[in-house]
Amino acid sequence: MPVRFTRRPLSVRSAYDAVSESHLGAVALFVGRVRPDPFGRGRVSGLLYEAHVPLASRALSELEREAKRRFGVERVEVWHRLGLVPVGEASVVISVGAGHRAPAFAACRFLIEQLKRKAPIWKTERARPVRRPPPRRGPAHARSAD
Amino acid sequence: MPAKVRVLLFASAREAVGASQLEWPVPSGGSELAELLLALVRKHPRLAPILKVSRFVRNGEYLAARHGSIHPGDEVAIHPPYGGG
Repeated sequence: MPVRFTRRPLSVRSAYDAVSESHLGAVALFVGRVRPDPFGRGRVSGLLYEAHVPLASRALSELEREAKRRFGVERVEVWHRLGLVPVGEASVVISVGAGHRAPAFAACRFLIEQLKRKAPIWKTERARPVRRPPPRRGPAHARSAD
Repeated sequence: MPAKVRVLLFASAREAVGASQLEWPVPSGGSELAELLLALVRKHPRLAPILKVSRFVRNGEYLAARHGSIHPGDEVAIHPPYGGG
């Protein structure tokens, strides 16, 4: 049973193991991770991923079949995380097991590019809460004195 | 009880409406998707630019552009441009 969508951290090791049959000479892995704020302001704490799960699952199944047919690879897993994914953590893991490296790389590239185009999955930025200084305490006249 | 469709909203469409789904009244004899979308925009004007670039799904099947009839009990999903990965 494929993992496909999960709200828990993705395991790259598990994705590798899932396609690593002993007769296969190549495993290609792609891991997409949440980047920090591109402007260096440090405001992005993570990305919130959501999906129309029945349709996204169907789209990923079709892409897996298409990758096997087009590139002749034997094993394919596409796993995507949902919910809030913190900066630095994996949002998507794709693993491909094949006889040789060329079809493994090609299928891996095909799968991530097509996932972005065809799977109903979205991300929205989640900002860090703005830290404001705590309100000053004390009677009003004490604050107005300075 | 009035006849309704369920409208599923994702990402920017969800943020524009402030809800991930709506129960929306439709005539008991059905309606056109385009009419439903017009009604949604009247109530939620921020949806207008999003609908121009969205895809639409009725009961799990993609609709071509904005064409298609909808009936009470249908589920209509609004898909803004995808951004997985």
